[in-house]
Amino acid sequence: MRRHGPPECEGHARVRYRVDVSVAQTALVFAGIPLAVVAVFALLIFGPSQLRQPNRYRPGKPWTYAPVWYIPRPLPENSSAPHRAVGAPSRPAIESGDQAPTPNAVGGASGEW
Amino acid sequence: MSGDAKPAGELVAHGPTAGRDDTSPFTTRQLARIDEALTLSSRETGLTFSVYVGELADPSRATAEGLFGKLATDVDGAVLVAVSPGQRKLHIVTGETSAPRLPNRACALAALGMRAAFSSGDLAGGIVTGLRMLADAAGRP
Repeated sequence: MRRHGPPECEGHARVRYRVDVSVAQTALVFAGIPLAVVAVFALLIFGPSQLRQPNRYRPGKPWTYAPVWYIPRPLPENSSAPHRAVGAPSRPAIESGDQAPTPNAVGGASGEW
Repeated sequence: MSGDAKPAGELVAHGPTAGRDDTSPFTTRQLARIDEALTLSSRETGLTFSVYVGELADPSRATAEGLFGKLATDVDGAVLVAVSPGQRKLHIVTGETSAPRLPNRACALAALGMRAAFSSGDLAGGIVTGLRMLADAAGRP
């Protein structure tokens, strides 16, 4: 009748882990929670800049925007004069590669990054 | 911004909402900064600064000089700052009137300052920096 074993175990309920944890719940705890934490941090880090300027230039990324060309505002006293765009409206802005350098350009600098 | 930093020809027209859509790489605030730098540096120096942002067909220097030729036929004392973010190239072109006030050394210094900003991805900041450095170098008429 007497069982072998430590006497303090006698009469106690058997200690065991719960068994009704499914595979899905295990995955949720060990994969879902870390993923959620990572997602929260990613949102905190990258979210604000994505919201502020979603199409910001990054070096090395291709440039898909249409070319733009800015000239300064006219002086206030000439402001009655109509604004004049540089170049003919019907001409594509980047077509000019085939034309020879004009004698007008005499200096300047170039750079790459 | 009332849109007076005019895009040339049929190029993209910027409104006050530019930057929130996908057609402009610049925010409204950045456009306003570029506009201000462009206008102020031109008024200070009496030269006509102009900023081109877009692809420059190879050879890019000749393309930039061709663009400058179009500009210089219209205005006196023109200075073109051409930036091609896709090719990671920039060109500053001066003409007969502007070259005596902006020697190549001053242009190279401005190009260096612009490169520093561009390489960290700050396109608008680099353009503003370049315009300010060029205006400082040119001084008052």
